[in-house]
Parts: sequence; C-alpha cells; structure tokens
Amino acid sequence: MKEVSIKLLKETANSLMFDMSEEEYALLKGEFDTIQKQMSLISNLKGLDEVSPMTFPYDVEFTYLREDTPKEVESPEDALKNAKDVIENQIRIPKVIK
Amino acid sequence: MEFEEVIGLEIHIEMKTKTKMFSSSPARYGDMPNTNTSVYDLAFPGTMPTVNKEAVVKGIQVCNALHMSIDPLLRFDRKNYFYSDLPKGYQITQYFYPLGKDGYLEINTSTGKKRINIERLHMEEDTAKQLHAYDCTLIDYNRCGTPLIEIVSKPDLRSGDQAMSYIETIRSIVSFLDVSDGKMEEGSLRCDINVSVREKGSPAFGTKVEIKNLNSIANVGKALDYEFKRQVELLEKGEPILQETRRFDEAKRETIPMRSKTDSVDYKYYPEPNIVPIRLSQDFIKEAIDSSNELASSKYERYTANGLSDYDASVILSDPETSRYYDKIVSYGVSYKLAANWVNGDIQSVLNKDNLSISEFKLTPKQIADIIKLIDCGKINNKQAREIFATLIDNPSLSIDTLAAKYNEGMISSNDELTKIVNEVLDENSQSIADYKSGHDNALRYLMGQVMKKTQGKVNPKDANEVLLNELNRR
Repeated sequence: MKEVSIKLLKETANSLMFDMSEEEYALLKGEFDTIQKQMSLISNLKGLDEVSPMTFPYDVEFTYLREDTPKEVESPEDALKNAKDVIENQIRIPKVIK
Repeated sequence: MEFEEVIGLEIHIEMKTKTKMFSSSPARYGDMPNTNTSVYDLAFPGTMPTVNKEAVVKGIQVCNALHMSIDPLLRFDRKNYFYSDLPKGYQITQYFYPLGKDGYLEINTSTGKKRINIERLHMEEDTAKQLHAYDCTLIDYNRCGTPLIEIVSKPDLRSGDQAMSYIETIRSIVSFLDVSDGKMEEGSLRCDINVSVREKGSPAFGTKVEIKNLNSIANVGKALDYEFKRQVELLEKGEPILQETRRFDEAKRETIPMRSKTDSVDYKYYPEPNIVPIRLSQDFIKEAIDSSNELASSKYERYTANGLSDYDASVILSDPETSRYYDKIVSYGVSYKLAANWVNGDIQSVLNKDNLSISEFKLTPKQIADIIKLIDCGKINNKQAREIFATLIDNPSLSIDTLAAKYNEGMISSNDELTKIVNEVLDENSQSIADYKSGHDNALRYLMGQVMKKTQGKVNPKDANEVLLNELNRR
C-alpha cells in the first residue's frame, strides 16, 4: 500500500489548486494513517479474493424517480452570497482559458 | 495514393425538461444569470442528487428511435475534474453502464441511404455557462445540471457531407420527439468530432484527432473538409499526425491545436455513491416508448400516402412546430392537400412577411380547418377564403361563420332558379355540349365559367357544378 505522507497530501492538494494549514495536513495524515491501519487489518482476513468489490454496502435497487416539477430554487442573493466578485449577476473569476 | 476520412461523432443534446437532471431547480434557457440554481447545483455540503423521471423517459424515447438496446438498470458514475463550470468537482454521467447501446441510424448520402452504427447513449448533467471576456471569465450556473444525453457513433462516417447528414438526422429525431429543440447556435445540440485519415481500403485506423468548438452543422462540414486536407498533406509529406484536440476557428475556416494527448485528463471514473441503482420496470419503458411523438420519417410516409407531393411534405417537415400545427389542422378532418396549400402558401407568406415562427402565428389550426371546410362545402370560394383569412389575421377573435355569411348574401339558393340559369347557358352553347359529349373536359370548364358569369358569381360553385353535370347528362 502506498504510503500517505504530508508531502503527498500537499502535492495532491496543490494539483487540485488548493492548500491547507500545517495543522489540517497533520489531521488529514492522521486520518489516512487510521484508514490504512484498518485496511491492513482487513487485508489479513482469509478468502478476500473470492469477494467482489461493492460500491454500496448493500446490494439493493430502488425504483424512485423524481417528478419533473420545479420546486427548489435559491434567490440570486443567496446563490451569489459566497462569491467574492459578482458583476451583473454573474460570478467573475480570473480568465480560465488562454 | 487514395485516402479516406474516418469519422466518429459525439453529440451532446440538452433535453427539454422543466427541471434539472439531479435537482428540482428550473432548467430554462435565457433567464437572468444565476436565478435558476439550487443548493445541489451549487454543491452545498450534504445535498443529494435525485434523478429526473422525465429526463429518463426522454432518454428512453431517443434510444428507441435509434434502435438501441435499453438497460433497465439505471446506474450513474462520477467523472472527476476540478474546474469552475461544475462546483461539485465532478460530473455525474453514465460511464460504465449507458442507458442505451448498440443502435443504428440510416442517413441520406449522395449515393443513397447508409447505416451508421451507434455505440452508446448515456445521460449526464450539463455544466455552467462560462463567458470568457478579455480579462476575466463570467459564470452563470443556470445551465449547471441541465439534463443532457450524449450519443456516440461508431467510426462509420466517411466524409463531411455524411457527418452533416448524420447530425441533421439526429437533430430531426430529437426535435420531432420533442426531447430537445436541437439548436446548435444556442448550444442545445453540441458536437465533438473524432477524425482520422487512412489509405482507402486499409483496415487499420490512422491517428485520431478530436475537433471541438463546432456551433453549426455547416461548420462541421467545413472543419472536416479542412482536417482531411491537412492530414492528407502531412501523410503525403511523410510527416506524423499528432494525437491531439483541435478547435475550429470559424473566421480562419481552419482547425487549430488546443491540447496534445499528453495533456489529457484522467477523470478517475467510479460509480456514483449518492445514487443507488434504479430499476426501470418493463411497463415504465414501454409506456415511455408508446408515448413518443411521431418521427419525421413516419410523418413523411403518412403525408405522401395522403396525397402530398415530396416538396409539400418536405417543406412542412422542415420544422417540427410547423408539422405539429399542420397535423392539428388535418386532425379536424380536412384534406391533407388543402391543409398543405394553406400552411405552405398563405400562412407561410404571413410568417415570412412578419418574420414570425409558426408558434407565434395568431390563428389556431381549428380556424384554418374551419376556413378549409367552408371552401370544401362550397360556401365560399378561394378568393373569399383569402379575404376572411386576411381579416382574421388583423382580428383573430372574429367569427368565421359571421365573416362567411356576408358572402352568402344575395346568393342564388334556389335549385329551380339555378337549373333555369344553367339551361339558358346550355341553350346558348350547343357546340360546347357537343364537345363535352365527345370527351373534351375543357368544354365543362367553359360552361361552368359561363354559369358563374351569368350569375355574377352569386352561386355556390359546388352546387352549380352539380346542376350543370346533371343537365348536361340529360341532353
């Protein structure tokens, strides 16, 4: 299993164009350590090769589909509240293409 | 050496639903920016997707029209990428299990019909609309989450003309099904091209180039013609073709490199954990298919079987709204041919003059059907019908019966009086009677003209014709 280091977490975060504080990296590293420890314990179980990977904890199917009726909509004020820069109701960001 | 182009198309189509693919915020084009968003579209923590039933119905209808096998187990996947047009950081799509697969479509080519195989149809969500200004990018999240279908063809197309015909056929299908308005210029139908060139007859494919940024069917043809020429020139010079993504520059009418294969993104697809697989019952699938609108190809068969010329049928079918309007007129029991004459003639003239679409036309199909019925039963003639039509255009609420009644004032309604006039005409035209008896149809028309002249047009042409034939046969 690949070791999850602070360096790897920083590289991954920066490639996704964000950064965190040293405390946050340390906290995240701790969480990965726990997960890896648990994975290591699971890996010791016998007969794992015969178990197919699952996406959901239970093998279930639903039939629910939502009716096509407009319901929830945010007011533009609420929708744009967290945007740093708004012009004519549009969020303005640095140009994303050359 | 002779070369051939190998083309595959990926077409994205925005579906005409009231709400978004995974949220119940409105999916409307043209509204004020950022007025149609929900907490889910904006990726607020803890919000969950719900699948739009109508989008699934429309997806099934397109699968059926493209002769695809439909997967009754609906499954979605995550396509991970970090970009400002999708706040979640991923797009929900159907990567591993598309809704439809292994279909086909017949297109018209210069050498006849050609079958184009279709690999898959999957559903996904659209991204936000980004406007790239001189020094910034402006984002409108109204489009974010709009239901999309993506149709991926096999590499069966061999020229720009074939690619244009394929897109036009897909556009016609989704428009007539009312799944989408299929407007490339508004972005509701978007197309990416995969194209390579190889020696004609060779089973191996050449190096694939992807072309993006195509906003009209004509530009697809232009881009492919340019790309074929460019790739052939490189091959003839012995130079390699780079696997890359290019965009079409409309002003220069050429394709320009965007990024190479080495810049391609690994989307790290995995099953969408927030949507449990959804089982579609066979009844649900059947109901979706049964409720499909009639396709243009089927309408064409129906129109021509009911007496329309290829030209008339094609003009009506050039626009789905026009064909829906036309179908409503004939649903009132009037002749296909007469209805076509009105739709392609007088109505089209008004639309052209006022630069309107049929959906903006003031008169209802029933009003047009009522006018046609009045002509058909002989209560008014064509000239009078046009006068009524023109009056209604200015005052659509007027009663057609009231308008028609004025033409019946002073009309000869007595059968005896009409028979007397017809016999006077016949007595004055013995040569025409002889001509008619010897099979000259022109004579009948001449005699009819004389009856109309003698009555100063104050007679129902249908009644006059009937009496004239009776009296002729008695002589």
